[in-house]
Amino acid sequence: MSTDPLKKRKTKVIRGDGGTPETKRIRGDADQSMEVEERRRRGSVHFIALKKLNRMAHMRLKKARDQTHEAKQRVDVLHLQLQNLLYEVLHLQKEIGKCLEFRSQHEEIELVSVDEFFQEAPAEISRPHLTKEDPHQLTLARLDWELEQRKRLAEQYKSSLCTKEKILKGIEMKKEYLNSLQPGLQAIMQASLPVQEYLSMPFERVQKQAEVARHLPPPLYVLLVQASAYGQACDTNLSVSISGDVDEAKALSRPPEDSQDDESDSDAEEEQQNTKRRRATVGVQLDDKRKEMLKRHPLSLCIELNCKDGSILHLFFYYLMNLNILTVKVKVSASADLSGAISAGELLNPESLLNCLYASDHGQETPNPANRYQFDKVGIVSFADYVAELGHPYVWVQSLGGLHFSSDSPQVEGPHSSLSASHMESTMKLLRGRLQARLALHKQFSSLEHSIVPVSNECQHLFPAKVVSRLAHWTMMSYEEFVELSFVQHVMKAGLVRNTDLFFMATVERGTARLQAAVVLNPRYPEITPLFSLSLLWKGERSGRTDDNLRAMESEVNVFRSELQGPRPGLQLLTNQMQRLCVCLDVYLETESQVCDGSEGPREFPREKMCLRTARGPNRLKPFKYNHPQGFFSHR
Amino acid sequence: MGPVELLHMSVFSQTFSPCGRFLAAGNNYGEIAVFSLSAALSPDATGMSQKPILTFAAHEGPVFSLISTDTHLLSAGNGEISAWSWAELTKRSTKALWTRRPNYKTSLEIPEINAMIVNSKDNSLIVGGGDNNIHIMDMETGTFKSVLQGHKDYIHCLSFREREGELLSGGEDGAVRIWGELIAHQCLQKSLLVSVTYLGECTRPQFGKWIGCLTTDSDWMLCGGGPALSLWHLRSMSPTSVFSLAGCQREAVFYQDLILTVGEGPYVSHCVPGGTVKAQIPSSSPSLNTLTLNLNSNEHRVMTTAGSSDQIDVFTNFSYRAFSLSF
Repeated sequence: MSTDPLKKRKTKVIRGDGGTPETKRIRGDADQSMEVEERRRRGSVHFIALKKLNRMAHMRLKKARDQTHEAKQRVDVLHLQLQNLLYEVLHLQKEIGKCLEFRSQHEEIELVSVDEFFQEAPAEISRPHLTKEDPHQLTLARLDWELEQRKRLAEQYKSSLCTKEKILKGIEMKKEYLNSLQPGLQAIMQASLPVQEYLSMPFERVQKQAEVARHLPPPLYVLLVQASAYGQACDTNLSVSISGDVDEAKALSRPPEDSQDDESDSDAEEEQQNTKRRRATVGVQLDDKRKEMLKRHPLSLCIELNCKDGSILHLFFYYLMNLNILTVKVKVSASADLSGAISAGELLNPESLLNCLYASDHGQETPNPANRYQFDKVGIVSFADYVAELGHPYVWVQSLGGLHFSSDSPQVEGPHSSLSASHMESTMKLLRGRLQARLALHKQFSSLEHSIVPVSNECQHLFPAKVVSRLAHWTMMSYEEFVELSFVQHVMKAGLVRNTDLFFMATVERGTARLQAAVVLNPRYPEITPLFSLSLLWKGERSGRTDDNLRAMESEVNVFRSELQGPRPGLQLLTNQMQRLCVCLDVYLETESQVCDGSEGPREFPREKMCLRTARGPNRLKPFKYNHPQGFFSHR
Repeated sequence: MGPVELLHMSVFSQTFSPCGRFLAAGNNYGEIAVFSLSAALSPDATGMSQKPILTFAAHEGPVFSLISTDTHLLSAGNGEISAWSWAELTKRSTKALWTRRPNYKTSLEIPEINAMIVNSKDNSLIVGGGDNNIHIMDMETGTFKSVLQGHKDYIHCLSFREREGELLSGGEDGAVRIWGELIAHQCLQKSLLVSVTYLGECTRPQFGKWIGCLTTDSDWMLCGGGPALSLWHLRSMSPTSVFSLAGCQREAVFYQDLILTVGEGPYVSHCVPGGTVKAQIPSSSPSLNTLTLNLNSNEHRVMTTAGSSDQIDVFTNFSYRAFSLSF
C-alpha cells in the first residue's frame, strides 16, 4: 500500500533519527517539538499530495492502456475480417478454376458430327429451332440422339447373339447325325462284298490285308508298303499278298521279341522237360537251339511279277526273327513249255535264278554281321547249309525290307522305308529283266541244241546271207570241267571267271575243221557279255594263244558288245555272238593260204566271201569285220 | 578299258623318247600310252609306276608304227601320220602337232602304215604300208616328195643303210627291195630285188613267203618272217647263216655281237651271228610283236618287248625279264 512505504520510510527516518536523538534531546526539546510538529504536518500534507499524485498517475496510465487496448481490439477484428475475406476470395478463385477445368463425361462420348446429326436425327430430338442458337441445347440434343442410337444397337446385338446360339445348336445336331451314319455304312459295305467281287474292285480285300499287315514284323511291313505303293504307282503287273498264320503272329507279338529272352526261355523250358524225362542228348539240345535260332516268322509275303509274255515270277519273302534278316524263295511259272533244252536246266533253277542280281550278291551267307556271334553260340558253321530250306538272304532283299547292315560294327538299325523305296524300282526292273533274259535264253538254248542259231530279223544285217559253218553241239559244262581246259587259262588268270557263272561248250564245224568255243555266262547276262575262248582243230591244234587270227576272232566276238547286242533289252547277244563266230570261222578257213605240207591239191574251202585284202598289219590278220550292205569283209 | 578289252589288247609298236626316260607304246585300239621309265626303274617304284603316265586315243585304227626324232614322236594310224611333241606329252598334253596322209589311190579301204623310218641326211620320213608303195615325206615342208613303187603286196618293214644311203624294204610278196640313190636323184630309183624265196634253206612254205622283219648293219642284213630268220651279206647278196627258230619272227635287231629277235612264241631269242640260238628268254605275252632297245640313255639301258597282251616286258639285264609295264 502506498502508505506502507510511507510508513517504512517514516520508520526509517525515525530510526535514523533515533540514532542521534539521544544527544539532541537535551538541547531543544521544547522548540524542537513545535518545528517538528510543523514539519510533521507539512510532511504529512506532502505525503498526502504525493499519494494523490501517484494515484492520479496510475489512473492515467490505466486509462491510456485501456484505450490502446480497445483500439487494438478493433483493429484485430477488422484484420480478422480482412483475412476471412481474403480466404474466401481465394477459395472462390479455386472453385472458379475448378469449375472452368471441369470436363463433363459427356465430352468423352464420341458424337456424330453436327451436320450428320442434323441430317439423321428426327426433328423431335434435334429441335433445330432451339438448338441452332443454343449450343447447350445442341449438345443435349446430340446426347439424346446418341443415347437413342445406342439403345437401338444394343437391341440388335442381343438379337444376333440369339440367332448365333440357334445356329450352333443346329450344327451340333447335324454332326451327331453324321456320326451315326458310320455303322450304317459298314453294314452297307458288308452287304456289297459280292458286288465288289463282280466288279473287281477289291476294297474289302485291301482292308483285310491291311488288318493282317499290322501283325507283320517291321521289315516285312516295310516291304509290303513299298511294294504295294510301287505296284500302284508304276507297275500294274506287280501284286502283293500276305500268307501264313495270323494267329501265331498275334501270339508272337504279345511278349517282347528279344532273342536272348527267347533263347533263355526255350532253354529253361528244355531243362524243365529234361528233368521230367530222361535227359536228351547234347546233340539234340543243340539241334533244338539251332532250330529256335533259325525260326521264321509265321507270316510271309508273296510278290508276283507278271511279264508281258504271261510268265510269272513268284517271290516268297520270309523273316527270320532271331537273326533279323529277310530271305527269299523264288518260283517261276512260265507261259511256254520249258522242257525242250537239256543244257538250259540250270537257267531257271530256283536255287540260282536270282544269283548275282547285283554284282557279287551270292546269297549264301547272311549279311548281318551280328549273326556270326549267334551262330557261334549254337554251332552253326555256315548259313549256306540252311539256304535251301530257309531261302536266300540276298543283300537286295534286305534293302527292300529297309534293313541296312554296315560292315564296321554289329549294330543293326531299324528298318528305313527310304532305303526300301530307292531300291524297289531298280530291283523290280532287274528281277523282270533277269526272268526275261533267262526265259529268252531257254528258248535260244533249245534252238541251239538243234544246231540252229536263232537270229532275229533285226539282227540279220550284222551277218552275210550265207553262213556255211554250222553249230554242231551245244552242251553245258561244270566249273570243274571248265577249269581243266587248256585254252581258257588266260581268262581264269584275268579273274573274269567265278564259280557262280554258267559254262557251256559250243562246237562249230565246217568240213574237217572243228572249232571249240568255251563260253562263260555270267548270271547277270545280258548286262555282262558272255566270254568265248577258242580252240581250232584243223591240221593241228591252234588256240587263241598260239594263233593271232584266232585271238582276233575271240576279240571280234567278245569285245564288240554294242554291235552285237541287238535291240533292247539285248537278249540276242549270245545268239549273235554265236553267229558271228560261225561267220568268222568261214572267213578264217576260206582265206587260209593253201601252203601245206607239199600237196598242191584243190583248196578245201573255196573263197566265197568277198574280201579286199586277206592280210593286213604286222601280224597279218584276216578281215573279220562284215560291212553291211556292201557285203564285203574288211579289217578293223 | 574294261578287263575284256585288256584281255584282247595287242601292243604293236614302241619307241623311247630322245632323252631315254620315257617309253611310248601303241596298241590295236589306236591308243598310245606313255610310260615313265625313270619312275619304273627307280628303287622306290610302286605298282602305280608300272602304269602309264598318260594314255590317249591317237588314231582310229591300230598304231602299227612309232618312231622318235629328236623332239617329236611320230605315230602311224589308219593311213595317216601324226606328230606329237615329246615335251608336250611329258606334260600330259595330247594335242597332235600335225597329221598328214600320203596320197593313196584306193578309196574303199584305207591302207595301214606298217613301218616308218627317218632319213636324217635329208630330213625326210619314209613310210611303207598297205598300198604296196613307199612314200617319202619331207619333214620340213610336210609334202610327200616321191613314191617308190615296185612291191606286189603290202610292205611289212623298212630299214636304212646309213653308209650307202640305201633303203631296204620287205613285204608280203616275199621280196626284199633295195632302193638306192634316194638323196641325189629322186626320180631315179634303182631297186635291186632280192627274192628270198628262191633260196631253199630259208624257205618255210607252211608259213608263207612274207618278210616280217628286216634290219641292216650296213654290211649285213637280217630278214625273216615266213621264211626262217637268216643273216645275209649284202655285198655278195648271199645268206651266211640261217637260224632255226620255231615261229615266224617279227622283229630282229643287232646288239653288240648278238642278234635279238622276237616273233611267235613267248620268248626273246638271243642268237649268235654264226647261226646258233644261244638262249630263249621267256616273256609274259604269248607272242611278241616288237622289241626295242633304249640306246639313248646310259642309266636306263633296257630292252622292252610287247606283243599280244597288254603287258610290256622290261629287261634290265637282257638275260631275264625284270618286270612288266601294263596298259
